[in-house]
Amino acid sequence: MSDVDLVVETVRDILTKHEPFALTAERSWDAGLWSALAAAGLTGVGLPEEAGGSGGELADAVAIVGALAAGAAAVPVAEQLLVAAPAVLAAGLGLPAPEEPLSVAVDGAVTAEPRDDGDGPGSWTLTGTATDVAWAGVAQHLAVLATSAVGPVLALVDVAGRETTHAANLAGEPRGSFVLQGVTAAGALLTDAQAEQLRARYALARAVQLSAALQQVLAWTVQYAGERQQFGRPLGKFQAIQMELAEMAGEVTAVAALVDAAVQAVERGESLVVAAAAAKVRAGAAVEVVARLAHQVHGAIGFTQEHRLHHLTRRCWSWRDEAGTEAAWARVLGAGLLADGPDALWPALTRVV
Amino acid sequence: MGSNSLTLAPAPRSAAAEEVRAEVREFLAAELAAGSFSTHVDTWLSGVDPAFSRKLGERGWLGMTWPKQYGGHERTAMERYAVTEELLAAGAPVAAHWIADRQSGPNLLRYGTEAQRQEILPRIAAGECYFVIGMSEPDSGSDLASIRTRATRNGDGDWVVNGAKVWTSNAHTSHYAITLVRTSPADPANRHAGLSQLLVDLSLPGITVNPIRILDGGHHFNEVVFEDVVIPGDMLLGEEGAGWHQVTAELAFERSGPERFLSTYPLIAEFARRTAEGQDPAQLAALGRLSSRLLALRQLSLRIAGALDRGELPDIPAALVKDVGTTFEADVIDEVRRVVDVPASLDSPDPLGRALAEAQLHAPGYTLRGGTNEILRGIVARGLGLR
Repeated sequence: MSDVDLVVETVRDILTKHEPFALTAERSWDAGLWSALAAAGLTGVGLPEEAGGSGGELADAVAIVGALAAGAAAVPVAEQLLVAAPAVLAAGLGLPAPEEPLSVAVDGAVTAEPRDDGDGPGSWTLTGTATDVAWAGVAQHLAVLATSAVGPVLALVDVAGRETTHAANLAGEPRGSFVLQGVTAAGALLTDAQAEQLRARYALARAVQLSAALQQVLAWTVQYAGERQQFGRPLGKFQAIQMELAEMAGEVTAVAALVDAAVQAVERGESLVVAAAAAKVRAGAAVEVVARLAHQVHGAIGFTQEHRLHHLTRRCWSWRDEAGTEAAWARVLGAGLLADGPDALWPALTRVV
Repeated sequence: MGSNSLTLAPAPRSAAAEEVRAEVREFLAAELAAGSFSTHVDTWLSGVDPAFSRKLGERGWLGMTWPKQYGGHERTAMERYAVTEELLAAGAPVAAHWIADRQSGPNLLRYGTEAQRQEILPRIAAGECYFVIGMSEPDSGSDLASIRTRATRNGDGDWVVNGAKVWTSNAHTSHYAITLVRTSPADPANRHAGLSQLLVDLSLPGITVNPIRILDGGHHFNEVVFEDVVIPGDMLLGEEGAGWHQVTAELAFERSGPERFLSTYPLIAEFARRTAEGQDPAQLAALGRLSSRLLALRQLSLRIAGALDRGELPDIPAALVKDVGTTFEADVIDEVRRVVDVPASLDSPDPLGRALAEAQLHAPGYTLRGGTNEILRGIVARGLGLR
C-alpha cells in the first residue's frame, strides 16, 4: 500500500464516525470531524514540518481532499491544504497552526494600503468587502487576495469572531461576506501571474473535489441500481438504466483522467492556469450529466433529505461555479490556448497536461 | 472506483513520443506548404492518398510497434499515438493505410502464419498494402454473431465463400479484407461458435465491389459480394472456429485510438482561428469547453496507449473512450454553430462553412462505426458489474 493509500484509509476511518448531515445556519460545519482530522495531523498534510505542517506531498493533500469530498465532509480542508496555506507560505507569511481553520477569499473588492514601505512581507490596511468566502464564520484565518496601487496583495486576516453575512451555497456550506474597514493585516505583494495562479489553484481544488464526489455519486448509483427491484428485477438489469449508468461512467472517468493530469502538471510546475482551467471546466460540465442521471436512477427517494445522494449532488451543483464560474474559466481556457496565435491551438493542447 | 475495470493508470510521459511528434509536425508543415494535401474533416475515412501513405511508410511511421523482422520499427504505443494524433489533427489523408496499420497488421501479427506475416506486414509498413474490415453484413450490424457469409472446404482443402459484406470502407482501393465468416452451421446454444476469420485477396474472381455513397456523395463505403470465391486453404487467419474471440480482440484496437475523438478536429482548428481573430467572449468560452473535453479524452486515450505498452488489452476502457469521444466529435458541430454566423455548405467561400458541412454530413457515422454507442455502453455496463 502506498503512502497515499494509507492517508486515504485514515481519512475514511475517521469519516465512518462522522456521517454527513444537512447543513443549516446553526450547524454550518462538522466541528467534530475537523477536530478528529486535526488531531491526526491531516489538516497539515502537504505543508512542511518546519512551517508547522505535517509534511508529505501535494499528492497526499489531494488524496485527503478527494476522500473528504467523496464523504461530503463539511470541513475547510480543500481551502486550507490546496489553496490558502500554500499561498501563505509562498508569500512568506507566517502559517497559522494547522488546527485553526484557514480559508481563502478571492472575490469581491478589497483594497490594501501599505502601512510600511510595502516592499516584501509587511503590514497593510485592508478596506472593502470580501464576498463568497468559503467557510465564512467557520474559518479563524483568511487569506485575502486584495488589490493595491502597486499590484495584487495576499493578506492574512484573523477573522475569528468577526461578523459575517449568513449566505450559503446550494449544499448549505457557508459562503458569506466580510466587510473589512481599516483592518490591519500581514501581507505580501504578488505578481499578477502569482495572483492568477492562486485563483487557478482554488479552481483546481474544486475540480479535485468534484472529481471525487462524482466518482462517489456513480458508485452509489451503481449500488442502488443493483439493489432496487422493480418489475421483479434489479434496476441495473434494464438496458435503459445500463445506458444511463454507462453515460455517467464515461463522464466520471473523463473528469478523473483530466483532473489527475492537471494535478500532475502542477507537481511538475507546468502551465498551472490553463491546466486548472481545463480541469475545472471539464469537471463542472460533467455535473449536469452525472447529477441528473443519478437522481433519475434513484427516483423519488434521492430527491429527499432522507437519502444520502443530496449531500453530494447539491455540493456538485455549487462547486462547479465556485472559485470562478465554469463560464469564466472556459473563457480563460479558450484565451490561454490561443495565447501563441490563431494556428497554435494544437501545439497548446498537446502541451497543457 | 480505483479497482474497477474502467480506470487505467495515468500514462507515463514519453520523451521519445515528443521527439517523433516534432518530426511529424515538421513533415506535415512542409507537405501542407508544398500543397501535397489540403486539410479536411474525417480524413481517416475519406482521405485516400496512396502517395501520402507511402511517404509515411518511408519515414517509418507505419507499423511502428511491430517487430523489425516484419518491416516494423519496434517503437512504443505512446510513440505511435503521437504520430497518429498529429496526422489526424492536421486532417491529413491517411485513409488508404489506416485500417491495415491500426488493426489488420496487429491481427496478422497475433494470428497470422509466418508466411502471411512475411508476405504482407512489410508491405503494410511501407504504405503499399491496404486492408478493409469484413464484419458487417446486409442483415447483421450490431448483432455481429448473426452473420451468414459462409465458407466451406472443397475437395482441395480450399475455402469456398458465399455471402456479402457491407460498409466496407475503401474496398475499391484496398488489397485485402479480413473477413469474418461462418465455417460451421449456426448453433443457437452457442451463437459465438463456428465463426472464423479469412484473409481474402480482393482481386480474386467472384468478388464484386459495389459502391455505396454516403451523405456528402463521397464514395468510401462498399458492398462486397462473394460468389463461389475460392480462397486458398492456408488463408485461414488464426484458428478455425475462434473467429469471435479474434474479432473481439481486433475491435479493442479499433476502438482505442485518437481517431475516436479527433475526426472533427479540423473544424475545431478552423473555429479557433476565427475565435483568435475576434476574441469574442462567447466563442472563447465555446472553445474552452470543447478543449476541456478534448483534453480529457486525450488523457484517456493516452492511458490506453500506456496499457497497450504494458501488454494489456483494455477492451472495456476502449469502449468507454469511443463512446465519450465519438459523442464529442458530433457535439463539436453544435458548440461551434451556436456561436458563429456561418451557414454550413460544402460550397461555402468560408473555410469554416466548409468544415461545418463536412463534419455535419459525416456526423451520423461517428457514433456508429466500430460498434454503436449503444453496444459500447453495454460493454461499459459490463465493466460496472451490471451484466
